[in-house]
Amino acid sequence: MTKFRHLIWMVTAAVGLTLSISQSYAQQPDVGDQPGLLADDSVELEPEYRKQMVYYRSTEPPGTIIISTAERHLYLIQGNGRAIRYGIGVGRDGFQWQGLLNISRKAEWPDWTPPPEMIVRQPYLPRFMAGGPGNPLGARAMYLGTTVYRIHGTNRPDTIGTAVSSGCFRLVNADVADLYERVPVGTKVIVRQKPEL
Amino acid sequence: MRTFRGGLLIGLAVAVAVAVVAITYERYDTKTLKRTIRRGEVLCGVNTGLPGFSIPDDKGNWTGFDVDFCRAVAAAIFDDPTKAKFIPLDANERFKELQNRKVDILSRNSTWSMSRETSYDLYFPAVAYYDGEGFMTPRSRNIDSALDLNGSKVCVQAETTTQLNLADYFRANNIKYQEMKFAKLEEVIKAYDTGQCDTLTADVSQLYALRLNLGKPGDHVILPDVISKEPLAPVVRERDDDWMLIVKWTLYAMINAEELGITSKNIDEALKSKKPDVMRLVGTEGNYGEELGLTRDWAVRIIRRVGNYGEVYERNVGSGSKLGIPRGLNQLWNAGGIQYAPPIR
Repeated sequence: MTKFRHLIWMVTAAVGLTLSISQSYAQQPDVGDQPGLLADDSVELEPEYRKQMVYYRSTEPPGTIIISTAERHLYLIQGNGRAIRYGIGVGRDGFQWQGLLNISRKAEWPDWTPPPEMIVRQPYLPRFMAGGPGNPLGARAMYLGTTVYRIHGTNRPDTIGTAVSSGCFRLVNADVADLYERVPVGTKVIVRQKPEL
Repeated sequence: MRTFRGGLLIGLAVAVAVAVVAITYERYDTKTLKRTIRRGEVLCGVNTGLPGFSIPDDKGNWTGFDVDFCRAVAAAIFDDPTKAKFIPLDANERFKELQNRKVDILSRNSTWSMSRETSYDLYFPAVAYYDGEGFMTPRSRNIDSALDLNGSKVCVQAETTTQLNLADYFRANNIKYQEMKFAKLEEVIKAYDTGQCDTLTADVSQLYALRLNLGKPGDHVILPDVISKEPLAPVVRERDDDWMLIVKWTLYAMINAEELGITSKNIDEALKSKKPDVMRLVGTEGNYGEELGLTRDWAVRIIRRVGNYGEVYERNVGSGSKLGIPRGLNQLWNAGGIQYAPPIR
């Protein structure tokens, strides 16, 4: 009974939130996401996508995030010619972008409200989903400026290294939690694309 | 009479001088390209067997980073990467055999240094792979910088520059360590694998190969620090500029292709590009290939048949290989590394 009441409350809240939410607050995981699927944290990443310290020469100050979409890597600059490198999943063709943004907000186990244009593309998606282990945004989210893009966790660790999202950058939950602790709101995020022919 | 004798002497002196110049001139080979074309294949001096760089399988098919570079030269000339013949050379004989014209090019993990260029009459056209000394430690030590190696027991091969670099670096950074020297590399590995030391030092490319043979490779990390300069480069004979330029620009074409986003998979798309940089590289604008003594589509041949720099790297020593060496120094200059090619224009 309590369970049922809880469900009613959630659905009501979901409808309310969907109606009131502005597009800039919407969140965008996409194809390959299976809302409700619990993350299989035993999935072992390919060596090149495991978190590691690497040589990385940069003129950006320590603490800056540089995302290389073509490589499927996110670098957190450490100075002294090194960076912590994480494996990521990126936007699929047509959903890739580049530029400079700042982390505007951080959230643990974020709720997910797919934006209207995403619902049009994928009508089967829920209108709202509370944060938790089955949520496609995973354990943490870092919001990029006022855009619909995020750096977030995932419930699909097997999609790291692929291009499936609507433009967000996903890390496995352990990695996104690690990154979350290292970067404050205001952190500079540079997104780089492979050059166009 | 006196003038006649004087004239004779001057004439003799001139003749001798001309002969000396002619002999000196002959000492230098300037016809490598002509001979290569007549022969129909490039003769490549390679390592006798180094995983990731040059190694033959049981059918005699060669693979590796150095092997692919030689195939790229063959592709630029013949539009056929199989027109490269591989001649395994050991470290002692490699430079002599190049001088003796037994090979057209050395593509054999050779470190470019000043004395090698000056004392052997050889030329290193460009750096194909930036290697250098690094460190491996057990993952459980939780170390991610060489500067944190204070108090380590370091296994190293004796009587090598590796040992000298180690001493220099630790002294310069005020790090205390205990050195454990062994004559052979196999002994160094064994000592590390059995826990006699908690740090192993060698060239980074070597560390990745050595790690594969440890009991539990996943339990060991290779630190990102590179403490010495080992720029590995192809080698050609001095004073054969036409040939040297082909070798140099083959490598630069591969690096520029990666920077411009041109791969073996999208090369046909690149031929339709309207971007000036891309057009110059693929030969739809300008005529850089013919100025090199090759064809207008020389770079297209390289990229289509062998690939750009990143493709060759990943396939042989990077994420597409067993070694899995991160790009590090060999990443492009605008993506965290130092690989940089002058522009084609």
